[in-house]
Amino acid sequence: MKTSADPVRDYLSAVEREASALPADRRQELLADLAEHIEVTRAERPGVATGEILAELGDPRTIAATALSEAGGETAMTEGGAAAPARRGKVHPLVPLLMLTLSLPFTMVFSIGPDAAFDPGPVFGVLFRLIGAVLLCTSVHWTAVQKTTGVLLTVVVPTVLFVTWNLISGWAAPETQALLGSLGALTLITGTSVWLWRTRRV
Amino acid sequence: MEPGDPTKQARAATQLRKGVLEYCVLALMRDRPRYGVELLHALEDSGALATSQGTVYPLLSRLRRDDLVTTTWQESASGPPRRYYALTESGRAALDEFTRVWPGFRDAVDTFLTAPPSPSPSPSPSPSTGDLA
Repeated sequence: MKTSADPVRDYLSAVEREASALPADRRQELLADLAEHIEVTRAERPGVATGEILAELGDPRTIAATALSEAGGETAMTEGGAAAPARRGKVHPLVPLLMLTLSLPFTMVFSIGPDAAFDPGPVFGVLFRLIGAVLLCTSVHWTAVQKTTGVLLTVVVPTVLFVTWNLISGWAAPETQALLGSLGALTLITGTSVWLWRTRRV
Repeated sequence: MEPGDPTKQARAATQLRKGVLEYCVLALMRDRPRYGVELLHALEDSGALATSQGTVYPLLSRLRRDDLVTTTWQESASGPPRRYYALTESGRAALDEFTRVWPGFRDAVDTFLTAPPSPSPSPSPSPSTGDLA
């Protein structure tokens, strides 16, 4: 048996091992809950040894067994309850990120040029970006700070850049420059989305 | 059956806890949202409901999936952000329902446990009622 210098990591991997029969998302949620508990307890009782915190949490096997029985008894529990209410804020975290990222390619794909009477490209783009921003802000997967940064980098900054760019160039920028600008914005939005995806709370 | 057997006492307590723990957890959120560690402290202070801390998280997770509670992250002045648990409408309804049922349930159990070893005073068609005691 190998021992590492990090008892918390050892403890969490023991829970992970014991809970291997759980669906992956449940297992990750359980691990996140336990990790948060350890972090909060450490902050609230700085004098207490990590070993004691882990001992109070209990045997990884017991926790895993409880999680498995909770997962199994679910149908029995819900049958007595009312119809499931709307799941506000429980949209999959990929949805807002994809909408934000794809808003720009959509603008480009659907755009038929500024000369047309009605250009659907920007309309699609703005719509996607707005819905993406709303979903991002109402999601449970990010903190307020992350949400603000996300909206700034994926919506506000690109929009401001585009508008100023268009105003300066009088809506008639050379193709290559416009393309470069779009690619730059796309990189920024994609990068921010990847960051949000990686830092999301499970 | 030895009356003081700690293993048997523990088993009885575990069985009882299974049924009521989630409603006690819901009751703790009745007046305001609470975060996980806070809920665990309250349960611990109660004595009888104290349980291996880690086992409460799977319960909270199920309450969340069943839409009895919602969670929000809140920054804290000290340490990491906390996940706060709050009752949903259906959570409150479930708690109210339990609150309504519990006194009758508790009294019924008390009646069985404290009944004298004689036939119950209530009129009963079966003469074997005394066997219950």
